[in-house]
Amino acid sequence: MAETGGQPLFDLWKKQVEEGSQAWLRTLGQGQPADPQSFWRPFMDQGMAAWSKLMTQGPPSADLMGQWKQFLDQWIAAWSKVLEQAMGTETFAQAMGKQMESFLNTSGPVKKAAEQQIDAGLAGLGLPSRSQVIGVAAQIVQLEDKVDGLEDRLDAVAKELRELTAAVKAARA
Amino acid sequence: MKDQLFTMMPEMPAVSAEVIARLDEDTRRNFLRMKHWSEMMMNPKEPEVGPTPREEIYRKNKSRLWRYASKRTHRTPLLFVPNLGISRPYIFDLMPKGSFIEHMTQQGFDFYLLDWGVFGPEDNGLTVEDAVTKILPRLARKALESSGASEMSVLGYCMGAPLSACFLTTHPEFPLKNYIDMAGPIDFSQVGMFGQWLDARYFDVDKYVDTLGTIPADMVKLGFKLLKPTMDLSTNVNLWWNLWNPEYVAGFNALNKWANEYLPFPGEFFRQWVKEFYQQNKLVKGELVMGGRPVKLSAIACPVLVVGAKEDNIAPPACVKALMDAVSSTDKEYLELPGGHISLIAGRGASTHCWPKVAAWLAARS
Repeated sequence: MAETGGQPLFDLWKKQVEEGSQAWLRTLGQGQPADPQSFWRPFMDQGMAAWSKLMTQGPPSADLMGQWKQFLDQWIAAWSKVLEQAMGTETFAQAMGKQMESFLNTSGPVKKAAEQQIDAGLAGLGLPSRSQVIGVAAQIVQLEDKVDGLEDRLDAVAKELRELTAAVKAARA
Repeated sequence: MKDQLFTMMPEMPAVSAEVIARLDEDTRRNFLRMKHWSEMMMNPKEPEVGPTPREEIYRKNKSRLWRYASKRTHRTPLLFVPNLGISRPYIFDLMPKGSFIEHMTQQGFDFYLLDWGVFGPEDNGLTVEDAVTKILPRLARKALESSGASEMSVLGYCMGAPLSACFLTTHPEFPLKNYIDMAGPIDFSQVGMFGQWLDARYFDVDKYVDTLGTIPADMVKLGFKLLKPTMDLSTNVNLWWNLWNPEYVAGFNALNKWANEYLPFPGEFFRQWVKEFYQQNKLVKGELVMGGRPVKLSAIACPVLVVGAKEDNIAPPACVKALMDAVSSTDKEYLELPGGHISLIAGRGASTHCWPKVAAWLAARS
């Protein structure tokens, strides 16, 4: 396991990421289109600062790979926290809703047109369309439901018969 | 000449024995990493999942009821109700010594698993109400008949918890002995990011279902990946870090297979699930009606165990814990355990933090 020799460095890194994330969230909150350069700059700056410090300090312990892994874990955790914060906002939910809306507006007609073309092609070949096959499968499912219903009724009747037989036997005795 | 060469060399920094030992170990691990990585790439083996022996008791449409027999040291069997759609249930029986089902059977519980199956476009009309009033009651009855027991405990995991709660409250004739909710959302006002994304102001579920019909597995995958965008990265980093360890690699392969097998949702099921549970929060408000019967969580009066996971971002602890106040049971207990939604019940942590506690609680009441 990694040693804790580089802990101050990680703390510094986390602090910087948190500060950067706040700036990032403020940008998002303003609803302005994000400029790719300014959007990523806080993170790039933090990464560069942390790495340059690490390089100048030299390896704080023998377990260099362990420290690197710890550094990576901290980096991912910090990113995860930042992204969770950003995605937990009303702004993000609203943006995602809009994105979904435009996706549905585009994909709906495309999907319908594709289905119609495929169905026409299959009909031309004298084959059943996808919707017809699905319809038959759905009917089988419904049929199974009906059989289940009948089985339930038969079970109920059988149960009543058993109870009735037991009652008659008890009355005779 | 030789001596001169040595004097010309700059002085080498001192290298401690610790550093040398560490480098030696790192070299060994790197060699193993390369070996296992090339095996994974060149000769990938299909991981064997679901090792616990089982028999199929009943099937209805796509759904199956499986029985995992035990020595049955406890009288009351357990019916396990997982989520419908999203993922396959072999995560609960992933691999030997890494299986919740194996653990429970070893503890002497006859274990019945309700496997909802993979629904196709022909099942698009299936609603939550159908699952609760048609599939669940039938399979629960078959489990009871198969066991020969007079009572049965029910464990609902994830979405299986609200579904089983709806079934149990609308079917009071079912002889329920104990009820366990593991990471199952009850109060959807506290359900976290999914709740926010599915808010009626931003998410038009009618348009979504009307356009797509079946909710494709890729859409389900997208939603879950978005919930934790760094998950894939951290999974791969951890894989690289542990790649030298063959046990870790075997576990990773099995878990990775499961984690990439998403399942679609029947359209109408998704519509009702999002509308009545996420958007209107009808379950905890007592406003749900299924099969003409009101769903009142207060109708659950048997011993209840509620288990939440501290880092669960699918069903955060607060939305799970809400069941404690909703039921009328006097014997009830809430446990908040370490881990996330999946690691609560699957994986190495679960085998120490969760399974023994659940088994012990149930054993004392079975």
